[in-house]
Amino acid sequence: MSAVEFHAVAKVYRAKRVIDALSFTIEAGERVVLFGPSGCGKSTVLMLIAGLVAPDAGEIRLAGKVVSTAGRIHAAPQSRGVGMVFQDLALWPHMSVAENIRFGLRARRVAASECRRRIDDIANLVGLGDYLHVRPGELSGGEQQRVALARALVLKPQLLLMDEPLSNLDAALGRRLRAEILRLHAELGFTLVYVTHGGEEAREIGTRTIELGESRAL
Amino acid sequence: MRKWLVPALVVAVVAALVLWRLSSGTQGPTVVVYVSHDQVFSEPILKDFENETGIKVRAVYDTEETKSTGVMNRLIAEKDNPQADVYWANEPVRAEVLRQQGIAAPYVSQNAEGISATFKDPNGYWTGFAARARVLIVNKKAAAKPDSVLAYTDPQWRGRAVMANPLFGTTTTEIAALFVLWGDERGQAFMKALKANGVKLSASNGDSADLVARGEFDFGLVDTDDVVSRVRQQQPVELEYPDQGADGIGCLLVPNAVVLIAGARHPDTARKLIDYLLSKQVEAKLARSDAAQIPLHPGVEGPPDLRPIDKLKTMQVDYAEIAAKLQAIQPFLKRWVESGS
Amino acid sequence: MTERLVLVAATLLLAAIGLLPVAAMLKETLIADGRFSLDAYRALFASSDHLVLLMRHSLELALLTASLSTLIGVPLGVVLGKTDLPWRGALTLVLAAPLAIPSYVLAVAWLPIVGRTGLLGGVLPAAWSREIGSAFFGLFGCTFVLTSAFMPIAMLLTIAFLRSVNPALENAGSLVSGWPGVLAHITLPLVAPAIAFAAVLIFLLSLGEIGLPMYLRFPVYPVETLTQFAAFYDQRAATVAAAPLLLVTLAVLGLQTRLHRRVLQLGRRTPRGEAVQITLGAWRMPLFVLVLAFAAVVVALPLGALAAQSLSVETYGLALARAGDSIVRSLVFAATGASLLAVLGFFLGYLAERRTLFLWWTNEWIALLLVALPGSVIGIGLISLWNTKATSLIYASPAILILGYLAQYAILPMRVVAASLHAVPYALEQAAWLSGAGWIATLRWIVAPLASRGLVAAWLIGFVFALRDVAISIVVYPPGADTLPVRILTLMANGAPSLIAALCIILIAVTLLPLAVAGLWLKFGAARP
Repeated sequence: MSAVEFHAVAKVYRAKRVIDALSFTIEAGERVVLFGPSGCGKSTVLMLIAGLVAPDAGEIRLAGKVVSTAGRIHAAPQSRGVGMVFQDLALWPHMSVAENIRFGLRARRVAASECRRRIDDIANLVGLGDYLHVRPGELSGGEQQRVALARALVLKPQLLLMDEPLSNLDAALGRRLRAEILRLHAELGFTLVYVTHGGEEAREIGTRTIELGESRAL
Repeated sequence: MRKWLVPALVVAVVAALVLWRLSSGTQGPTVVVYVSHDQVFSEPILKDFENETGIKVRAVYDTEETKSTGVMNRLIAEKDNPQADVYWANEPVRAEVLRQQGIAAPYVSQNAEGISATFKDPNGYWTGFAARARVLIVNKKAAAKPDSVLAYTDPQWRGRAVMANPLFGTTTTEIAALFVLWGDERGQAFMKALKANGVKLSASNGDSADLVARGEFDFGLVDTDDVVSRVRQQQPVELEYPDQGADGIGCLLVPNAVVLIAGARHPDTARKLIDYLLSKQVEAKLARSDAAQIPLHPGVEGPPDLRPIDKLKTMQVDYAEIAAKLQAIQPFLKRWVESGS
Repeated sequence: MTERLVLVAATLLLAAIGLLPVAAMLKETLIADGRFSLDAYRALFASSDHLVLLMRHSLELALLTASLSTLIGVPLGVVLGKTDLPWRGALTLVLAAPLAIPSYVLAVAWLPIVGRTGLLGGVLPAAWSREIGSAFFGLFGCTFVLTSAFMPIAMLLTIAFLRSVNPALENAGSLVSGWPGVLAHITLPLVAPAIAFAAVLIFLLSLGEIGLPMYLRFPVYPVETLTQFAAFYDQRAATVAAAPLLLVTLAVLGLQTRLHRRVLQLGRRTPRGEAVQITLGAWRMPLFVLVLAFAAVVVALPLGALAAQSLSVETYGLALARAGDSIVRSLVFAATGASLLAVLGFFLGYLAERRTLFLWWTNEWIALLLVALPGSVIGIGLISLWNTKATSLIYASPAILILGYLAQYAILPMRVVAASLHAVPYALEQAAWLSGAGWIATLRWIVAPLASRGLVAAWLIGFVFALRDVAISIVVYPPGADTLPVRILTLMANGAPSLIAALCIILIAVTLLPLAVAGLWLKFGAARP
């Protein structure tokens, strides 16, 4: 059973076909990079997988189940087992790092003691142990990036989506974080869908590339 | 912030509910009265009634005519499901309008005995009490002192006279009374001459009185209580009774009028309140107060600042006729007011 | 699903509370003797010459007031909200004070100063004071008083929305231009929708003014509605007379919606960064003196005249004895009204900003129409709708007042919340949904805290307007449960001037107190997006 299946998916924004007849399959555990120039619909594909927008045509399946069809979202975002790191990270600025990570666990009614354990574990895993009580605004770009990762991973998603997460970082930091992402993938075994427009980054992160240019999936 | 936001909202809502309960609760006997007579004068009377009878009074007071739509419109709008039990009008024309609209119910109080038939509806739909007179308020520094409403058309006071908007309140009543006494032709000529002589309109009798007290104008036609209250506040004004000469038409008396509302929810307490308002005791209080109202019951001492009713030349008019004339001339008055702007 | 349900419910609630009473009144205008008739409208058009003149006066007054209020209020808002001027908080409160009292009362407060025998008469040459005295009774006086009353709206909204500007954008501009250039080309264009809203609101409020122009003998259009009510007791004709006001409002709405659409998406603030403050340097003292002088002339003079009239403990004792109960009631009713307005405004504002439902724009139109309607028409409409045996529980209680506030003032919290939500990226909500939170939980834990300043501002603006309301309150307040502004108006008829003055001072204090508390909270306590 594939982790993600797109069957002739199309999406139109403001009368423009951002994605047209896109079909591809991603197997469980793969690291797939969505690659292509700006405006070709990479972020849109992530939003479609997450269920944050509905396709205008076609069908999307996750783990074999139909989750979205034309104009309809059958499975709400919170029930898809998907974690996401947004392009601008979308960290909640009024909450501390710990609260940012805890939010999803509370929403799923995880017991307080279990919450504490999982937050500590994930914070250690991504190297955020000293920053739990600090607000995101006081952290550097790289540290914020790791908070966003921790927040997504603490919920043990089957599928992790990352939308150009390293675009604002310097080369050295970017390399370090890419290595960390690969390490976490090896440890936790999630399926990774990664968006970038950098060729080197695509080669490093992905086991496979889906190139979106004419929105077909090559 | 989120810690105290919810408790604060809860406190606010609870406080509101408590107050709601307190203000709309009806423990014990109650009467609801809508009052057009000035609150400063009427409220103490109603408080006395509460204290003497133990009946809780819930009142709705009125503003001067041009400051709001007024209590009359509320009575008319609530016609199908009346909330008021009693209406205390400050002049009988409004009471007449209520009778015409089927909002008044007849009730002849024992305490109405002694009040002249001129000041009562023949079928008991309203009863007059505690009147004021329409008089001239004159600034003490005015070069000349008027003694007639015709002063408004006298060139020596050109641009120096003010009058409340004749579409509203007791000014309309007076104009209608003049039309009844003089006939339509002379009435219209008078109004035309007013305009030609540069009369300025104010928003209300109170505003007219204030403007004269401030020296913006030499005189204005107002009610006795408007003058008396300002004299007692030691403002530089004095009172002139207009048209008191042998050929004079006299000044118009404007009584308060009390009405039982048809379909009142508390008819028994309503009748008690009406009886109270029509008593000699209340007339005496209103005479002594800054309202300086002239008692209509014989033998009740009048306000010290004013001539007693038997020493005053008053207009000989029928209030029902005035009410009818008022409604007839209102379109003319509206055009008259509009043409001045 | 929850989102759709809640937002549709909020829309329906606004329509039910606001439009139904108006619809009830409008229905009456189309029925005569039990059948459909346009007679009332024909009668209105028959007197159109005079009405056109009145409407012209109203439009002149509204345009002048809106323009002047914006021209003065926006720079004041910038100076008080974005610079290091000393005593900014205190000056903001002082300048906001005239908004608290009914404008008619403000005019009465000015008369001892500009009248023939007033303060100016003792200071200026006689000819000058005579000219000023006569000019006061007319368009000039009305514009002057209304501008002093409504300018705080432009000022306060400017202060509030300056905080939503992304400081990075201003910083980028400062690299190439001095502050005047940055303000003119970056900051103010970004808050232009807020300024436009303030101008439109002031325009509509001025258009509906009646008490003040009548007192200053300047005939305006709403006189027609009042005349039909108060002289002819003709509620049908009064409602018909309000129709042209609605047409003007629709025209203004159309214009304003166009302006609002051109909102730049760059106005969001990043997680890091406070609002940029302008250091005035050598201009600090001169500007301070200028603002102080302005406050002294426009606010301190009339309020000082009021205070001078009421200067004794006995007077305030008497004021509390005669109106203490109405003071408490005003506070409770206004606080309750403001809380409900903030809640309703939050959902309507969310819908206006996120546009997640098909007919999101209808709320704006409904709410703006309602604020433009004379309060007396809404009040009589509320009576027609709610004064039945079945709904007595609501009609005979303060709930009817609250309904009136919700109907007339919903636009205010709605727009304030919408503007503050503009600074909260949608991605933050999406991240919350992905984490497993439902829509309500996301609003509660993510959106509301980040929009807390906007919510507080919405509450405050609802509080001020509910507290100062007279037009609706006087028509529907339950017997024995009047509010302070109503009490002031009813006591004005032959009430001692010192008593009225004391009550006005109390009204100002009671209105400004929450503003002062909120100012402190905003400075020290609020979450920052």
